[in-house]
Amino acid sequence: MQVWPLQFRDAGDDILLSNDAGSWFRASPQFLNRYAAGALSDDDRDYLLKTGLAFVDVGDLAFTSHAYRWSARRTTTTKAIDYVILVPTLRCNLSCDYCQVSRAAESAKGFDWTEETLTAVLAYLDGLATDRIQIEFQGGEPLLRLDLLNAVRDFCRRRFKHSRFVVCSNFQIVDDAIWSFFADEDTQLSTSIDGDVATHTRQRTGSVDETRSLLSNLETFLERFGPGRMSALPTIDPLNPPDLDELVATYARFGIHSIYLRPINRQGFARRRPEAAGELHAWNELHARFIDLIVEQNWRRDTVVEEYYFTHLLRRILGLGANGHVDIRNPNPVGANYVVVDYDGTLFPTDEARMMARIGQIDLSIGNVLDGEDRSKVDELNSASFNDQDPDCQHCVYQPFCGVDLIDDISRYGRIDLPRHQTYFCRRHLALFDKAFAMITSTDQKVQHSLCRWLGVETWPTSYSEVRP
Amino acid sequence: MIPLVVPAEIRGADGPFVVRLSPDAIDAHDAQLRRTDENTILVTHGRARARLAGSDPGQFAGDVVLLDPVRSIMHRLIRAGSRHNTFLVTERCDQLCVMCSQPPKKTHFDNFDHFEKASLLAPADAVLGFSGGEPTLYKDQLFALLGRVHAARPDLRFHVLTNAQHFTEEDIGFLGSPAGRTVQWGVPLYAAEAALHDHIVGKDGAFDRLLGGLSILCRSAAQVELRTVLTKMNSSALPELATFITRFVPFASPWAIMQLERIGFAKNRWNELFFDNSVNFGHLGQAIDIARISDIPVLLYNFPLCTVPPAYRALAPATISDWKNKFLPACDGCSLRSSCSGFFEWHSDQAYSRLERQ
Repeated sequence: MQVWPLQFRDAGDDILLSNDAGSWFRASPQFLNRYAAGALSDDDRDYLLKTGLAFVDVGDLAFTSHAYRWSARRTTTTKAIDYVILVPTLRCNLSCDYCQVSRAAESAKGFDWTEETLTAVLAYLDGLATDRIQIEFQGGEPLLRLDLLNAVRDFCRRRFKHSRFVVCSNFQIVDDAIWSFFADEDTQLSTSIDGDVATHTRQRTGSVDETRSLLSNLETFLERFGPGRMSALPTIDPLNPPDLDELVATYARFGIHSIYLRPINRQGFARRRPEAAGELHAWNELHARFIDLIVEQNWRRDTVVEEYYFTHLLRRILGLGANGHVDIRNPNPVGANYVVVDYDGTLFPTDEARMMARIGQIDLSIGNVLDGEDRSKVDELNSASFNDQDPDCQHCVYQPFCGVDLIDDISRYGRIDLPRHQTYFCRRHLALFDKAFAMITSTDQKVQHSLCRWLGVETWPTSYSEVRP
Repeated sequence: MIPLVVPAEIRGADGPFVVRLSPDAIDAHDAQLRRTDENTILVTHGRARARLAGSDPGQFAGDVVLLDPVRSIMHRLIRAGSRHNTFLVTERCDQLCVMCSQPPKKTHFDNFDHFEKASLLAPADAVLGFSGGEPTLYKDQLFALLGRVHAARPDLRFHVLTNAQHFTEEDIGFLGSPAGRTVQWGVPLYAAEAALHDHIVGKDGAFDRLLGGLSILCRSAAQVELRTVLTKMNSSALPELATFITRFVPFASPWAIMQLERIGFAKNRWNELFFDNSVNFGHLGQAIDIARISDIPVLLYNFPLCTVPPAYRALAPATISDWKNKFLPACDGCSLRSSCSGFFEWHSDQAYSRLERQ
């Protein structure tokens, strides 16, 4: 009998163990001692065989199913690019204090696509090897150039069998033309609401009236087009967070019960401010507090609220199919599923890469719409864009569930080979996975109630809380 | 019930032959189908003529049939309007399941030539089933047939019901080939405990052989549909089976949990076998949840919707084949009827103690 190598981590009174195919269990410290000393008992061996953590012969079902799970967790779709983020203008009517996207003033010149750029963008889209397309309009504030949005949308509807459009807008100023633009079913609004009025005002609009007018625009949007056509994200400064109860209530007003709590990402110009000491620690605490809050609320209310990213992590731990989120994948190829077209037609593998180029940190551009893609940088990045060979990740119990974010590493540290546990990405995800496993293995009925609702089941498996003696 | 075998008075043919029925019969493989008088339907193909009783030739239009002058029958091998077309490859089997709906027989009639010809005449994009007995007792012939038919008709898909006892390493060549990949293999697994599974299928060592077969299917990247018939013998062992599947058969897609069919062996053992899920869904629900959390898609076959708690109803498609499906008087006016499996034609009233019109 051979045991697949186990990684382990303290989990309160007992130990969490996993192997690199993502099979996991809890055990006593005594079990760990027996395993480490090569002194497994007959019972231990039976247990490991019965649970697929060991195999007898190469090619037997235990061996084969382990190999299947190993590869299923590392399956990344790398079909043709069918998601394109377009930045028709860098100009914006707001000046948010952490703006990620290196904005330009609303009246500035030279920060919009030219006629030639538009023509080249359409030709670039035309050349994509797909008949389905999703276009995300970013900015700046893309609605300042509704004419360009219309030109792209008209073209895509003709060129592709299926097309969908998402407009990432602050939705601060709306006119009749904008309302009629959103009247079409294939077009979605994605916006930001930073929790409560005070926080949103402080972080974005600078005036309570402006914030109120945003909220009233969103209410009108909901009345006109119904729920499901609008998504929103809160950007949260963990050192100055909004009231979390009020955040949930604000989102509920717009029929949004799946909330993606997004930590302030001090990239681009925002990175020029030093990262405040303790910010990450504060974020981890705030996130856990938010999860506890919605667990409590879900127990008392019919409406179920989830934190979108946390639910995704639960799915990654427990299932094999959650490999589609570019924020957490392994391997995590950049420039494989989507591409960003900047205001001047330059192509970038991610939005963050665009910001880094903009502030002169590093040029990760991969060509432009006129000349097409230059894959050499992408290929070089992707040759390191996985965590299996990382000397720290290899010893981490969470490795099979985790991912890698090279662009974030480069942006924060200027390199990708920092000891993993010193990185923001690692420390944030260690906290998230600790919380996730504490809940998965909990017998608390409130916790299990939320887990069931989030994952769409009626009962929570009792085996998850068992501890191997 | 829709008849699959129809009495036919056949002349002008020396032995059985396969044709497609068509009103205009343009293709050489087509037989002409028409009504001659109020009570007679006539099928003509070259010199051969078959007379059937009936007044509506339209019910057979497009069917691919076997005309057998010796037995004086027309066997509808592929019914054009049905999604449930299955060839009975053999009635021999090396297992003897306690609830078998098609109890095995010793003798074997080799109909592969007829099945091959019928497959080639199947409607576009059809899914053809191969069942038994145990089809892989004749796996060389079966694989060869599937390979040739796939080469000629790449639009067709296949479903083969097999106990997975007979796959060997050498079969990976076919199983992983383009023809092999068009097959969905329906494989029964009844319990995670070897002794219980072996007892249900009536064969010592079946469980261990099955694990070997599943490993070969996985290594071939074959499509595997796991099938578990629910009985009193395994109902409380389902959560354990679900956990086993998440660990050892994570490639199952779907895991089908099937309600019992009151025919074959199950008819005489009904009371000791039938598990009434309308009053106890506990273990079943737990098992479904364990599998779903791990991304194993679960389906409930042959479950009337009102016997399934609302939260699980989306998993229960209407699966009882059209030719053996019925509804009860109690179903009249039920709002779920159009999406419900209903009941087997040979359903017993002493089955579910709770049926509720929705």
